[in-house]
Amino acid sequence: MIELQELEKVYKNGQVALRGISASFKGRVTSIIGRNGAGKTTLMRILSTQLIPTSGSATINGMDILHEQDRIRKNLVSIPQEGRPIGLLTPFEHLKIYLAARGMSFQGATEASQYALKKLELWEFRNSPTDTLSGGMKRKLFVAMAIASGAETVFLDEPTTGLDPVSRLEVWSSIKELSSEVLLTTHYMEEAMALSDDIVFIDNGMIIKKGTINELLMDFDGKIRVESTQPVSGWTRIGNTYISYVDTDSASAYVRKGYSVKQVTLEDLFVRYGVQIES
Amino acid sequence: MVFKLNLRYILAMGWYYGFSTITRGPSYIIASLSLPLTMFFLVYMLSRGALLPYAVVGGFISMISSNALSSAGDAAFFRLELKIQDLFVATAISSTDYMIGIMLSYLVFSLPGLFIYAVIGYVYRIFDPFSSLALLFVLICMIVATTSISFIIAGFLSHIRNVWGITSILSIVLTIIPPIFYPYSYLPKYAIYLLAISPATPASVLMQGVMGLQPLQMPMAAILIAETAVYFLLAKKFMHWREK
Repeated sequence: MIELQELEKVYKNGQVALRGISASFKGRVTSIIGRNGAGKTTLMRILSTQLIPTSGSATINGMDILHEQDRIRKNLVSIPQEGRPIGLLTPFEHLKIYLAARGMSFQGATEASQYALKKLELWEFRNSPTDTLSGGMKRKLFVAMAIASGAETVFLDEPTTGLDPVSRLEVWSSIKELSSEVLLTTHYMEEAMALSDDIVFIDNGMIIKKGTINELLMDFDGKIRVESTQPVSGWTRIGNTYISYVDTDSASAYVRKGYSVKQVTLEDLFVRYGVQIES
Repeated sequence: MVFKLNLRYILAMGWYYGFSTITRGPSYIIASLSLPLTMFFLVYMLSRGALLPYAVVGGFISMISSNALSSAGDAAFFRLELKIQDLFVATAISSTDYMIGIMLSYLVFSLPGLFIYAVIGYVYRIFDPFSSLALLFVLICMIVATTSISFIIAGFLSHIRNVWGITSILSIVLTIIPPIFYPYSYLPKYAIYLLAISPATPASVLMQGVMGLQPLQMPMAAILIAETAVYFLLAKKFMHWREK
C-alpha cells in the first residue's frame, strides 16, 4: 500500500509540481492519469526515491521514502518514462546487469532472467542486441526486469507512450503477468481501463478524483456530452471546443440550439477530471 | 560510514558493457587506440627516438585519460536519453557503484592499448619494478579522476548533443596540452601549476620524476591524490543520482 501525506514538490525554478497531496493507493494496479505536466512523473520519481520532496512524506508498504530508501529500493522496481535499453547489449545481458545491481547472485540472476524472458516470449531474442528489437519488445524487456526481480512494488511511468497499437497490447499483456503491486502513470484511458483496479486523476499537482472505473462512471449516470465551438461560460474548454455534461432528458433542447450531443465514453472521465475547467 | 561496493554489479557492467560489446563493435578499440598511438608515433619520429620514454609513459596516461573522458558520452546518454541511470537509482547500487561500473567497462577498451605500451616498455627496458608500481598508482588515480570529470560534465548537460563538443575541447585541455608526451621542464613553472587542473599534468610530472627523466616533484603526488578525491566527490554531487 502506498500512502502520501501532504506531499509537495517545488522545483528550483519555482515550478510547483505537487501541491501537498494526500492519498492512499490500495489496489493491486493503480493508474495515475493526467495531462503532460500534471505531476505524474514527479510523483513517481519521488516515490521511487529518485527525487526528494520539498515537504510532506510518503510510505510504501509502511517504509518511509525519506528515511528508509535502502529498504524501499530492495523491494521496488521503477521503470522510467521513455526508458530505453542500451542498444549494444542483449536482453539477457540487460537482465543480468540489472539483477546484479539489485544484489542477486550471478546464478540467481541467470535463472530469474531465463524465467522472465520465457514468460514474456522474449527468449528467442535473448542474444540479439536490443537495437534490433521492436519498440514493444524493448518496453517488454523492462517489464521482464520487474518480473525477474520479484519486487513487491513496480512503478511504470507511461509504459506504452509512443508505441503502435499492437506493441501496446503486447506490453499490456506483459504487465498483466506481474504479480506485484503496480502503480502506473498513463494518459490513455483505455490503458487504465485494461490494467487497473483504481484510477487517480491528477492535474496541476493535485489529485482531482480517485476511485474504480465504475465509481467514476457513476458520476456520468444519466448524463450526455454536449459540445460547442463557441465559448460557453462554465464549460470545459479543450482547444476551440467547449464541453459540458447535461441530463439525457435535456439533450433534445441542446440539439435544437445547434450544439453537438454525444454519448459519454471513458474519454470523458479524462475530460472531466484530467483537465482544469476554464470558465 | 561503511564504504561498501556492489562488486557483482560492477563486474557485470564491466564484463557485458566492456568485453561483450567489443565483439559487437571492435571499431571502439581502434578509435581508442588512434590518438595515443598517433601521438606516440609523432613524438618518436620528431625526436628520433630520444623522447621514447616520454612517449611510452605519455601513451599510458593518454590512453587512460582519453578513454575515461569518452565515458562522459555514455554518462550523459544513459541519464538524458535512455533513462538508464533512473532505472539504477531505484536499486541496491550507489552512485559510486554506478560510476565504477561504467569506468570499468571503459577500462576494458583501453586494455589493448595498455598492452601495446607495456610491450614497448618491456622491449626498451623503460620501467623498473618501482616505476611500474608508481605507474600503476598514477593510472588508478587518473582513471578515477578523469571518469569523475566525465560525470561532472554529464551532470551539467541538459542536452546530449553538447557532450561531444565539450569532450572534444576537454580532450585537448586534458590530454594534449599537459606535459604528457614532452618533458615538463619545457614549461614555465606557473604553467605547470596552471595545467595541474588536469590530472594528467601531476600524473606526468610525477612519472617523469620517478623514472629519472626529470627532477622528482613529490608535491605533484599530493596534488594528484587531492584532485582525484575532489573530482570524485564533485562527480557524486553533480551526477543527479538523487535529486533535490
